[in-house]
Amino acid sequence: MENKADVWQGTLALMVLKTLESMGPLHGYGIARRIEQTSGDRLAVNYGTLYPALLKLEQEGYISSAWGVSDNNRKAKFYELTRAGRKKMQSEARQWEQTTAILARFLEPAKERS
Amino acid sequence: MRLLRAWLIRFGGLFSRQRRERELNDEIESHFALHIEDNIRAGMSLAEARRAAILKFGGVEAAKESYRDRRSVPFLEILGQDLRYAMRTLRKNPGFAAVAIATLALGIGANTAMFSVVQAVLLRPLPYPQPDRLVEITETNPLKRWTHNVVAPANYADWRRMNTVFRDIAAYAGVDDKRASIFDFFLTGSGDPQRLRSILVTGNLFDVLGAAPLTGRVFTDQETFGGHERVAVLSYGLWQTQFAGDPHVIGRKLLLSGKTYDVVGVMPRDFVFPGRDVQIYLPLGVQPAFFVQMRRPHMLNVIGRLKPSVSLDEARAQMSAIARRLEQTYPATNTKMGVRLDGFHTALTTESRPALLMLLAAVALLLLIVCSNVANLQLGRAAAREREMGIRRALGAGRFRLVRQLLTESTVIALAGGALGLILAMAARAALLRLAPAAIPGFAELRIDRWVILFNGLITLCAPLLFGIGPAIAASRPDTLRDRSESDSHRHRVVRDLLVICEVALSVVLVAGAGLLVRSLILLDRVDPGFRPENAIGFHLRFPQTRYPDDDHCIAAIQSIENRLRAMPHVHAAGATSSLPFQGQIYTGDATVEGSTGDYERELRHDLITPEYFHAVGTPLLGGRSFNEFDTAKSPSVTVVNEALARTYFHGADPIGRRIRFGRPSDHDPWTTIVGVVADAKQDGLDVAVQPEAWTAITQQANNEINFVLRGDGDTAVLAVEARHSVREFDKDLVLTAVAPLTDLLHDAASDQRFRTTLLTGFAGIALFLAALGVYGVLAYSVAQRTKEIGVRIALGAGLPRLFGMVLRDGLRPVAAGAVLGLAGAWLATGMIRSLLFGLVPADPVTYAFTVVILSVAAACACAIPAVKAIRVDPVVSLREQ
Repeated sequence: MENKADVWQGTLALMVLKTLESMGPLHGYGIARRIEQTSGDRLAVNYGTLYPALLKLEQEGYISSAWGVSDNNRKAKFYELTRAGRKKMQSEARQWEQTTAILARFLEPAKERS
Repeated sequence: MRLLRAWLIRFGGLFSRQRRERELNDEIESHFALHIEDNIRAGMSLAEARRAAILKFGGVEAAKESYRDRRSVPFLEILGQDLRYAMRTLRKNPGFAAVAIATLALGIGANTAMFSVVQAVLLRPLPYPQPDRLVEITETNPLKRWTHNVVAPANYADWRRMNTVFRDIAAYAGVDDKRASIFDFFLTGSGDPQRLRSILVTGNLFDVLGAAPLTGRVFTDQETFGGHERVAVLSYGLWQTQFAGDPHVIGRKLLLSGKTYDVVGVMPRDFVFPGRDVQIYLPLGVQPAFFVQMRRPHMLNVIGRLKPSVSLDEARAQMSAIARRLEQTYPATNTKMGVRLDGFHTALTTESRPALLMLLAAVALLLLIVCSNVANLQLGRAAAREREMGIRRALGAGRFRLVRQLLTESTVIALAGGALGLILAMAARAALLRLAPAAIPGFAELRIDRWVILFNGLITLCAPLLFGIGPAIAASRPDTLRDRSESDSHRHRVVRDLLVICEVALSVVLVAGAGLLVRSLILLDRVDPGFRPENAIGFHLRFPQTRYPDDDHCIAAIQSIENRLRAMPHVHAAGATSSLPFQGQIYTGDATVEGSTGDYERELRHDLITPEYFHAVGTPLLGGRSFNEFDTAKSPSVTVVNEALARTYFHGADPIGRRIRFGRPSDHDPWTTIVGVVADAKQDGLDVAVQPEAWTAITQQANNEINFVLRGDGDTAVLAVEARHSVREFDKDLVLTAVAPLTDLLHDAASDQRFRTTLLTGFAGIALFLAALGVYGVLAYSVAQRTKEIGVRIALGAGLPRLFGMVLRDGLRPVAAGAVLGLAGAWLATGMIRSLLFGLVPADPVTYAFTVVILSVAAACACAIPAVKAIRVDPVVSLREQ
């Protein structure tokens, strides 16, 4: 059986920002769907947990919201990345890469020896 | 920055909740719509699609709650909810709310008022720059039993010259031992002479204080001395009342008691030295030789400002060394003359400190009683609210949430009580200033300033913690929703009884303390003053040197005035003396009593009187004679003494015929023969032992100021008016001052004791009332709970008296426990107020017995009402009740 890991608020926020960057403006359901897909189903996200996270990002000014119409003519609230959000996403992504790189060095030598 | 933005938006989320709630619902609806659509497209049926979407979403309500928590500030929202709920609850229970708020207002208000007094007297720094550098210097002398005496001018001058620890030292004169101004100058020139309270100061006094004038200037060093002293500095109050705040008052000339003075300065509004009553500051105006030569008469109050780096102990050491050098240089006058240094603020407050601290402690106990009472009230309601709490718990409220809401309720009550209490404190201040202004020392200004308000706020916020937490925790205890047929929670009863025990104990301590003070006052009142104060008045006259240049003029004037007074209708006797009793001004001198062993007396009270003085003031002559018209300047010197002197020096033998020599042995004054003995009359206070005293006739030694005593059989007010007339007829420019019935002198002497006794009795009364209320509350509640049981008892034939007794005993049990605890506590606590008592030990059995009686009566009354209710229970009605 595949492992379904819990998602931290911070990483969830980063995933939201990244999703909005690659997909452009999207509504809450769409973002949740896309995150699940991108993680290759390794993440089990209750869709409901997304909304408080979206609110937080909006309050901090990284995304903005507006009511619009979906492809199927349904009314929905769309979220869009702001300039500050783009910058934040880039800096957060950089930090994650650095962290992973450092950890990789720690884990690798042990592997080599064995 | 982002955080700040987020928080600001969250605060905004406190408003327009409905709109945002609608938007959230819309968003979630649209989410489900989109998901269900997708599911249907993937092939599920409508029902499956919906179910899958709901499952995938997770808990909708939980998500909404999370969202709402982030949308606004939950803390504030909950607070808002709790406040609204608390207001609703209190409005539905106006009786409880009124009693709780009133009780708290009383307790918090009393504390705030008491704190405002303590703030004014003990805490607030004096209104001068760096007031902690100011030091009062007094003289001590074990030979004369002086512990902090006024200073001889020559000593002052030497201290000033020889010290290196003070920036400067200044001196002032004209105040009594309470630092109230006793020097009156009369502003003449426009209508009736206006009496002005003044003090005489050295030119550098304002410099030492560091006080700058509002306008004009203060004195210079040179102006201490005669020839330069016709300058005056006005107080702000005088400037406003007498000169209507005239901006050109500087340079105006004033006619003060016959001399012309120039106004050179006005002090600012908040300047006060040494007391609020001083209206005008005048230079000492003495000859320079005064300061160098006068080493025997002591009359100056001295205040100094320490140099910045010098400590009080260092200064004490150096001044003591200086005093010792002076002792060696001037053995005739300075033997054993030491110095004493006290911080100025400390010196001003030593007398009032013990009583103030006692009252503060008492009022704190009162607050504890108040909080106990309110806690008891809340516990009483807790049982009634069990159902409400049960429902809320069942709906998912956590314990903390319930406690929080109950505490908010308590805080609302406390805030209302605190605000009302602040108003009470303001009213108390106004009342105090009007009814007992002398109770506050002269330098202190009673104000509700920001510290007092802060204190009020502090106890208002702490009170709910005291009386609210217990009941809140008790009320939110996890319990099932059950039928309330037997809800007299045993636990609650125990706690409520404990609270009653505490209340009773604390109030017993207060009642015992008040009882001790009241008994002290009664014992004080019973003391025989040694003279008869009823139907007599006294007044003071000063003969200005310009019109009465020497002793003979003064003597003639005094005798003439006395004759006129005696000739008035309704007057029985008229006499004069240099010191009236209880006035705080005493004349003492050296004396040698013939035949006494040991060193000569250095501090014998010695006053000057006219022959009829003893008759006028009502002090009986025990042997020999008083002075008569044959005692003149040329006849042999005679003296009259009091019993104390006879006892001290002649040990009961007849003093008549024995001799005293006034002055030091080296002065070789003539011997004076004792011709009469009078009974002991109290001199400084009813609680102070009578000192040996001797009197000389004014014809043999005179003074230019004198006090008259007039005894009549009519209204003392009438006597006063007629006396003024008589004196005016003699010399229209003489002004009578300090005109008062002798009973006032007696009354004022005990005013401090009376004030603190009244206050403490008030607190004790309130405390007892609240404790009785608490006893009543618990018992009434218990009886109401036990109605069915009582009904059964009555139905089964229980005798009503026996039932009454049972209920009464039930109510009195905690009272008895509390009384025992309280008496023990009182025994411990009252030991601390020993110094405030007169004629009693703190463990006075009569007072304690009285306390027990009062408590019993109060408790019995409190318990009687519920007991009466109990025996009036109709068993038919109560048994039918479910």
